[in-house]
Amino acid sequence: MTVTTYDLVIVGGGAAGLNAAAAARARFPGKRVLLIDGEEEIGYYRTLLPMFMTGVMPEEKLFFQRPDDPVGYETRLGVRALALDREQNHLSLGNGEVVGYERLILAQGGRPILPPMFADRRLPAGSFPVRSLAVARRIKDWLPEHRRIVVLGGGLVGSKTSVFLAMGGCQVTLVEKEPHILPTVLSERTAAPLQRHIANLGIDIRVNTTIDEIETDGNKVTRARLSTGEWLPCETLLIGIGGTPDIGFLADSDLIDGEELVVNPGLQTRDPNIFAIGDAVTIETAEGEHHQPWTWPQAVSQGKRAGDNAFRPSAAPVPRVTRVNAQNISGIPLMILGGPGVGSEVVSRPDPDPGVWREFFMEADRIVGGALVGDIAGAGPLHFRMANGEAVGGEAPQHLQRRTRAFAAESWGRLARARRARRFAMEGERA
Amino acid sequence: MKVIVARVDRCTGCRTCELYCATERGSEGRTLLQAVQETPVPQPRLRVEGGPDASLPVQCRHCVEAPCLDACLTGALVRDETHGMVHVKEDRCIACWTCVMFCPYGVIFPWPDRKFALKCDRCMHMETPACVDVCPTRALEVIDLAELDGVSAEKRKAAATLAIAATDGEGVVHLDLAG
Repeated sequence: MTVTTYDLVIVGGGAAGLNAAAAARARFPGKRVLLIDGEEEIGYYRTLLPMFMTGVMPEEKLFFQRPDDPVGYETRLGVRALALDREQNHLSLGNGEVVGYERLILAQGGRPILPPMFADRRLPAGSFPVRSLAVARRIKDWLPEHRRIVVLGGGLVGSKTSVFLAMGGCQVTLVEKEPHILPTVLSERTAAPLQRHIANLGIDIRVNTTIDEIETDGNKVTRARLSTGEWLPCETLLIGIGGTPDIGFLADSDLIDGEELVVNPGLQTRDPNIFAIGDAVTIETAEGEHHQPWTWPQAVSQGKRAGDNAFRPSAAPVPRVTRVNAQNISGIPLMILGGPGVGSEVVSRPDPDPGVWREFFMEADRIVGGALVGDIAGAGPLHFRMANGEAVGGEAPQHLQRRTRAFAAESWGRLARARRARRFAMEGERA
Repeated sequence: MKVIVARVDRCTGCRTCELYCATERGSEGRTLLQAVQETPVPQPRLRVEGGPDASLPVQCRHCVEAPCLDACLTGALVRDETHGMVHVKEDRCIACWTCVMFCPYGVIFPWPDRKFALKCDRCMHMETPACVDVCPTRALEVIDLAELDGVSAEKRKAAATLAIAATDGEGVVHLDLAG
């Protein structure tokens, strides 16, 4: 058995892996780098797949890197990692190859969770998990002829996909098992107006239920049964109930704690020569908190940092670990600072303006999460105050106000106060 | 790398920079009179913040490790190779506002009417940025980052001189031993 040894092997060519590869190339030009990925095509914006599959986004805008771009490292595409041997520093690949590494970056990401009815992982024609470009292409070809659609999962991916489908003239039913859509990131009160907005686009939203059986005709989806017993006729079933770390091949590597691939803020696993980033990892902070910031911006930042860290004597920490997300749901901007943690207090405005909802999840006087819907002014500075763990305390109600300026009240407290004071004074005169 | 610096001691908060930024960079007509009649009304890429005591035009800092560049989901935000400026490719922007969320200075502005994010690119393809050109008090200047260190040292010196003068030359400032 011949083993080719590389200085750095990167498993996964998503946002995290490709940024890691580019950063490592730039910083350590002499090192020999190999990147492997299970998909045939890499270098695309995964978050644009809902727009792509519904025909809103042309294919040429989907890629940030093309297969023939000179990258300066070797790639193996359509090849999965099968096993990791840490004693030998060997990685076995699906094509029978064994590669050696000095440093390893695990960026293999997640795989879609499938509902229990697909436990055998055999999906009938017309049912698709929304995750990879290959599947998105199949959905894109399938949709024009099959426009009655059930979307399972009212999270970010499910909601966004439903909106694009409805705007494209499809008949969409969105099924969510929790009492409201976006359950992991919004409180019920904030989700309600957004849910109304989505329903007004013609999407049939079913909450507190899930799909527990589908009926097929010649291996094609014909209808789906809700747990309430109702049958929904449909030709397409899209599954967007989230992803789970793809860590099966690490089972014997002794890197997994429970079900988690845990890394330190420097993105190292318990083996300091093995880094892990992106949707596969749990980051443990110095305070012992566990974070799973599985977002695109985090994947990019972590990728760059891991590439930079690869051959350094000590690993620098990732700049910030936040799970913030932004969406524009057909004209309504939505900023998610983070989901409600256990025991956090919800602070929101008692009398919201029409079309505007802002809420925070607070622990002591720190913002730990929240959402801005309709009015996103000040979102950036707020995000960074949250990430820095700054105490905002009594200022929270002020941040809940409708605002048109982003900057003033954030960092220029005294100036902003002066301006407000003057405004109050002028109102007094008029009265 | 050349950047715009703003001098809080000279800014009067007149917002001429905002008007001409919007006119020069966002309007079809390129004159103020035509710009205000356009729909949607052109938006500026910088904002004057602060109040009557002190005001300051704020625009993109073009951070060296820009969080917005990492955050952009579509490749619309890029750094220009020649000038080093971060700018938005408007045809790639999908108006998701993720960059707005990732700007610690709050200087990326959503423009829902046109469905793209608006930010200062230091008018890098023009001789002088519009805002710098029109500022009546010369509160805005273009400066090479390399020179900036010298400028801030000068400023500190000036501030120290003022503070010393304010204490009748004793040179001890804000030292409250009793408290």
